[in-house]
Amino acid sequence: MNTPINPKSNRMPVGSVQCDNTTLNLLKANDFVAKAIRERLPDMLVINVCSSPGSGKTSLMQETGRRLRDKINMAVLVGDPETDRDAIRMKEVGINALQIVTGGMCHIEAQMILQALDHIDLTGVDLLFIENVGNLVCPAAFDLGEDIRVTLLAATEGDDKPKKYPRMFLTSELMVISKSDLLPYVPFSVEAVTKDAREVNPTIEVISISSLKGDGMDEWCEWLVTKVNEKKTSQVAI
Amino acid sequence: MHEISIVRNVFQTLEQTYPEKFDRIVKVQVQAGLLSNVQPILIQNAFEALIQEEPSLSDVELEVLLLPIIAHCDACDKDFEVKKHRFICVCGLPSKKIIQGEELQISEVQFSGQ
Ligand SMILES: Nc1nc2c(ncn2[C@@H]2O[C@H](COP(=O)(O)OP(=O)(O)OP(=O)(O)O)[C@@H](O)[C@H]2O)c(=O)[nH]1
Ligand SMILES: [Mg+2]
Ligand SMILES: [Zn+2]
Repeated sequence: MNTPINPKSNRMPVGSVQCDNTTLNLLKANDFVAKAIRERLPDMLVINVCSSPGSGKTSLMQETGRRLRDKINMAVLVGDPETDRDAIRMKEVGINALQIVTGGMCHIEAQMILQALDHIDLTGVDLLFIENVGNLVCPAAFDLGEDIRVTLLAATEGDDKPKKYPRMFLTSELMVISKSDLLPYVPFSVEAVTKDAREVNPTIEVISISSLKGDGMDEWCEWLVTKVNEKKTSQVAI
Repeated sequence: MHEISIVRNVFQTLEQTYPEKFDRIVKVQVQAGLLSNVQPILIQNAFEALIQEEPSLSDVELEVLLLPIIAHCDACDKDFEVKKHRFICVCGLPSKKIIQGEELQISEVQFSGQ
């Protein structure tokens, strides 16, 4: 694509140019909707789950569903560019799920969540997961009205990701190192990745998990239950 | 990437903000913090693509300005530039207090005189 060399100037005036210095926030519409979502879901913990494609988001939520479905009432909104496969996988383990088909889009916007809320029964739900589109870049800029953002990084993806995609790790409260059962087979240092992530985000928490083998699942489930309870008590306090 | 929707968003916002003067816009400056993950060249390409749809925009110049990341250190009570995504002050303390770098905004609009 060719970039114009000369400023395009057909509209250029013969006379004066009036200049308006302004600040028009381009993400304002999204942030406005995100706020509306927060107000609509006051006593439900909403977690935005992000990662690259295939890092194990759906697998982790399936395993979480199996372990916690008797303790916590859970529901899932799954963003997928084209299919409804992940929602079907959640329903297979008895978790209420709704697919948000993003039509090839690289991220979910708050507006899509707001619309989805009209199509899923959230009565009595304590924990709503939003599985974002697999992408570490674009979703970082879109607040979905979540309470907590969690980013998965699979052992197979390499330990240099926090520095390459800083905004995602900066805005996440927890980094889950997924597929930890594969750590013995790949060059991936949990220590190095934790150090890098904390240079970007000093307060980020880190848990290593294998949804397949179960390592770290207890710690993760405990973390979730604590966060769900914290959200509930914060509501009572208000 | 969603550059095309960013560019659409720019012109929708301008149309809403300046309904009377929109036709007279000759130049738009967009500021993008480094953390917004916006690539100026991709924005320019997306703008060229939008012009195919909206030929009336072909006379508008779009400038994208990247803003460095600035954080604030509470201990030193000073702002510092975050380089290579190390959110660490010269004093060695980490800080997440971002002063600049996340924005994506229209910062300047020029209109032709009548
Ligand atoms: N070895 C191993 N493989 C895993 C683990 N978790 C997931 N996988 C595999 O990784 C692949 C992708 O898992 P998904 O759960 O579909 O990943 P996802 O992040 O939901 O993928 P997208 O929605 O397509 O972005 C599947 O083949 C899983 O079987 C794990 O803990 N260990
Ligand atoms: Mg999935
Ligand atoms: Zn300092």
